[in-house]
Amino acid sequence: MIDKNYAQPDALVTTQWVSEHLSDSGVRLVESNEDYLLYDTGHIQGAVHIDWRADLQDQTIRDYVSPKQFAELCERHGISNETTVVFYGDKSNWWACYALWTFRLFGHEKVKIMDGGRDKWVGENRHLTRAVPHFVKGRYTPAAERRDVEIRAFYDQALAHSRAGHALIDVRSPGEFRGEITHMPEYPQEGVLRGGHVPGAASVPWKMAVKEDGTFKSAAELHAIYEEEAGLMRGQDVIAYCRIGERSSHTWFVLTYLLGYKNVRNYDGSWTEWGNRVGAPIERG
Amino acid sequence: MEYPEKLTQIVSLFESLPAPEKRESLISYATAAAKNAPREGESFDLEDVRKDEECTDTVGVFLKISSTRACEFRVTLGPQVQTLTKAMTSILCKGLAGCTPEEVLEIPADFVPKIVGADLVRQRSQTVYYILTRMKGITKVWLNRQRAARH
Repeated sequence: MIDKNYAQPDALVTTQWVSEHLSDSGVRLVESNEDYLLYDTGHIQGAVHIDWRADLQDQTIRDYVSPKQFAELCERHGISNETTVVFYGDKSNWWACYALWTFRLFGHEKVKIMDGGRDKWVGENRHLTRAVPHFVKGRYTPAAERRDVEIRAFYDQALAHSRAGHALIDVRSPGEFRGEITHMPEYPQEGVLRGGHVPGAASVPWKMAVKEDGTFKSAAELHAIYEEEAGLMRGQDVIAYCRIGERSSHTWFVLTYLLGYKNVRNYDGSWTEWGNRVGAPIERG
Repeated sequence: MEYPEKLTQIVSLFESLPAPEKRESLISYATAAAKNAPREGESFDLEDVRKDEECTDTVGVFLKISSTRACEFRVTLGPQVQTLTKAMTSILCKGLAGCTPEEVLEIPADFVPKIVGADLVRQRSQTVYYILTRMKGITKVWLNRQRAARH
């Protein structure tokens, strides 16, 4: 485990911890990437692949799968309700955090992130395999309903939050926040009609939470960023957003597990909803 | 429009494959992408190495055109380039080899979904068309220079 004075240090594991638990039947490794084919080029032994769009989202409506479909996904990958699921992936664990947040949305309790993600594992010259594992089908009892109310925010809630002056964190790049661009640097314009940010939101790019090697900064460093600089306070009801909810999942993880905030919601509709919505208030600059 | 012969062969192969094998073939092409880098001592008519907004890392495109106007492409890829981009690099270096510059410019992009599948095109549109766009771009520059030199 990692001890950097985090609120929930057992939510993060090291690459070494993972290498020592490759044969642990109570642990399932899940790789989630932006690069759709990356898993197929090689992955950690025993890791299964969960794709944020194909596996976790409904294929027609912009929403997540049902609790029943989620349970079926878990069972296919040999995951039961009691399995400890360790997520890792590319892009400093953006999609790993997104998958973890989605697992929490369905009430899965035992979740962890491999600090530093796939790049750290590869950088340490640890073994990758192309062999796709097959597990005995898990036994997963679906949750009665998703935990949307607790950890997910919708447009109307984000709007009310903005109007009330409550804590809103925009984790996109500074250029996106200012409204100069409507997409991430290095990414194409993906159909957002207006640029800017939700009125009252503070700009705290997700990247501030990680070091050069993609591992998370210490609790003291995170405290300085989110509380001393951005003005967040423990006990506040916080909503984080980005463009489609993946980078804000990363910040949601930081605030919830590393800093111990109790009321953080991820607005997964994020800027692709807000920036296209007729009449949505926008600030620029 | 018909595709160049080598590209047609690749497209036909992919169209005949079920999804898992299509995916496996893409991985094979991606794994071989580094072999498309310039070789020791090779010289080129044009080189274009740059980092674009549309791609996650630097991509270098190198064009050599023979006396019979046959194109040969070489490509260098930065480490953060995505797997699909790597696969398309190998496919296009092989599929467009020997085409004339005019043929390269006329190739319609509709072969891409036949290779990678419509779903991936929809999800990763910037990735799958990027290398083709770069190859057409460098070819057009070469043609423009040729035309300018003639006048």
